[in-house]
Amino acid sequence: MQLDDFPQLASVTQIEQGFEAFGYICSTKIATAVFLAFQLRKPILVEGPPGVGKTELAKTTAQLLDLPLIRLQCYEGLDEAKALYEWKYGKQLLYTQVLKEKLGDLLKGAKGLAESVERLHQFGDIFYSEDFLEPRPLLKAMQQERGAILLIDEIDKADYEFESLLLEILSDYQISIPEIGTIKARTSPMVFLTSNNTRDISDALKRRCLHLYIPFPSVELEERIVRSRVPNVDAQLRHQLVEFVHSLRQLDLKKSPAISETIDWARSLLLLHAGQLDEELVRSTLNVLLKFEDDIEAANAELRALLQGARPG
Amino acid sequence: MQSNLVSFIQVLRSHDVRVSPAETLDAMTVATTLGYANRNLLRDGLAMTLAKTPAEEAVFLACFDRYFYQRLSDFSLGDASAADDEAPPASEEPANETGTQGTATGDASPLVAAAATDPGIAALLESPLMRSLVDNNRNELTVAIGRAAQEVGLQQIQLFTQKGQFTRRILDAMGEEQLRSAVIELERRESPALTELQRYRDILREEVRSYVEREYLLHAEGRTRQFMDEVLSKTRLNNIEHMYLHKVHELVRKMAKKLASRYSRKRRQLKRGQLNMAKTMRRGIANDGVMFNVYWRQIRREKPQILAVCDVSGSVAAYAKFLLMFLYSLQDVLPKVRSFAFASQLGEVSSYFDEYPVEKAIELVNWKYGGATDYGNSLRDFARLALDDINSNTTVIMLGDARNNNGDPALEIMQAIYQRARQVIWLNPESRRVWGSGDSEMLRYQSACHFSAECNNLKQLERIVDQLLKSTH
Repeated sequence: MQLDDFPQLASVTQIEQGFEAFGYICSTKIATAVFLAFQLRKPILVEGPPGVGKTELAKTTAQLLDLPLIRLQCYEGLDEAKALYEWKYGKQLLYTQVLKEKLGDLLKGAKGLAESVERLHQFGDIFYSEDFLEPRPLLKAMQQERGAILLIDEIDKADYEFESLLLEILSDYQISIPEIGTIKARTSPMVFLTSNNTRDISDALKRRCLHLYIPFPSVELEERIVRSRVPNVDAQLRHQLVEFVHSLRQLDLKKSPAISETIDWARSLLLLHAGQLDEELVRSTLNVLLKFEDDIEAANAELRALLQGARPG
Repeated sequence: MQSNLVSFIQVLRSHDVRVSPAETLDAMTVATTLGYANRNLLRDGLAMTLAKTPAEEAVFLACFDRYFYQRLSDFSLGDASAADDEAPPASEEPANETGTQGTATGDASPLVAAAATDPGIAALLESPLMRSLVDNNRNELTVAIGRAAQEVGLQQIQLFTQKGQFTRRILDAMGEEQLRSAVIELERRESPALTELQRYRDILREEVRSYVEREYLLHAEGRTRQFMDEVLSKTRLNNIEHMYLHKVHELVRKMAKKLASRYSRKRRQLKRGQLNMAKTMRRGIANDGVMFNVYWRQIRREKPQILAVCDVSGSVAAYAKFLLMFLYSLQDVLPKVRSFAFASQLGEVSSYFDEYPVEKAIELVNWKYGGATDYGNSLRDFARLALDDINSNTTVIMLGDARNNNGDPALEIMQAIYQRARQVIWLNPESRRVWGSGDSEMLRYQSACHFSAECNNLKQLERIVDQLLKSTH
């Protein structure tokens, strides 16, 4: 990727503004990470609690640069056949069947086994050429002409071995296929890896990446996010609901409400034509914010105190 | 700036942030890409390449603030003072002198008056050190302190007891001697300029002291902690004061976690077994009966189970606390650990460990099972509770001194356990030399163990656990 092709990434502030135009409000730190990733051609490892916009960051970058987003969702048991490439077995088989009949013609007049084999050799390894290669996400990202945004989502869910598989791709942007050779990326893609921290990522992988931790946003930032995503909520309610969510995050919950939940809540409050928060309203819509029965009970017990903190001030 | 960045990375390393040479290079590139103009931008950028976990990032931020606290200001001032020094060398100097003299006569006449009579003091006032003090030029002073610190090798500071020594050396290197002797001289003469000069001396000392303090925090804190870890892991467990309990626990946790992550990785490895003919044929149907892919049966390893039995009687109480603590951590991180405790009777304590925090759990166990030792009885209890669960995947760990007050050792039960279990490990806090002496049954029990070892400090424990995990994979 050349800077000339992507003036959107010329500086940190420009990235920030670009993201904002696509409705992704981010801190300077996030914009810095994207800037550096582009300048240094390094992948970004994005960590943070679920729902703070890790995946969204990759999507928005793809929009901003107008590049295809190629996504690889990781899960336990993901292997190279599903991530890198696979041979088109069916096609190979079909071709052998077709060629079986032609084989007689081909070998007609050949004297002895050695010559037959010699003739067959002239055809080379056509069955293991790129025509019979089924590209999976990682290979596909290497093949894009203008480059691509490669999102490797939830890398922590994949097996340990899979990480090692990624190392070659992430540091050199190339893939080795034994039958063909090394395929280099036409234009090196921009890579985002996300992790929910369910296990430690190996040092080797971490070393190759820029490390970006996205925490829950500050009140001010979250208000801006809500404003950009749900523009119709009025300012006072917006402030109140963001304050409330922030005080919820202080509680000891199984799963704290994330930005996506705040946005969902703002949307539902808008649908209910709420003017401001009151106890009854919060109680009945709490299930939008909290996803565990235990959490809802815990929050209900503290509701009055929590609302007191979120009074419009 | 590059060398600055490198020494900053040294500081990070001493604070347990692992930074590889490749990352150092990355950090350099980041710094050149972002430039040094915007401090926050640089900090965020460096954090991304150097810190790999949120915890490391916190360390990074603290170090960054401390380290670049003076360095960055140095730079702006370095330029400024350089410009001052170089641009008007001849014209500014006398003007400056008269300026200081002018103000000095206004504010601090005694000192200047003293200088007029004493050539020694006049020379002192001329010295760059005194000049920066009188002009209240903090920046220049900081630069001078930094230079002197470099000369005396302040970066080598390791222990807090060295702080005074280094402060002294830096002061000497800066030529504080001259100032000191002037103070003595003025004192002798009871000159009115004394208080002023004393004030300057105190300012200087204060500056140097706080500089040393900052550098100490940067360079030595990490090393001191490493040193402590080292000491702690070699100290005999029962000698450690209560105040270290917390630290030991942390150490144990760190170790157990390290072992656990290695352990879980091993468990996931599957061994390829026989050819799975049925599956291979079934999958082949799609390809007209041609078996393109072969499938193998996989042998899934059983998860190993660990049974730990801990003696908590009076004779080993001090050790037991730490052994229990290790068990607690182990149970925290490994699946399928069952813990038992005994003195005269034996009972399962896994539930205590699951429910309570470590201090409380250990206290409860000690309270419930502490007392005089009876190995025979306890082994019978153990057989009743757990013998049926012992199979070829089970590792049994015995923690105790095997001192049975000359009672029945119930060796046959130990042998039964030995025959059933995959591995029996006995960890004895006593030195190997006294095994079998007096009422110790260790030599007899040892015959029914796959592995027995002396274990009374963390270093030994660490080695043993590693061995244990190697054999249970």
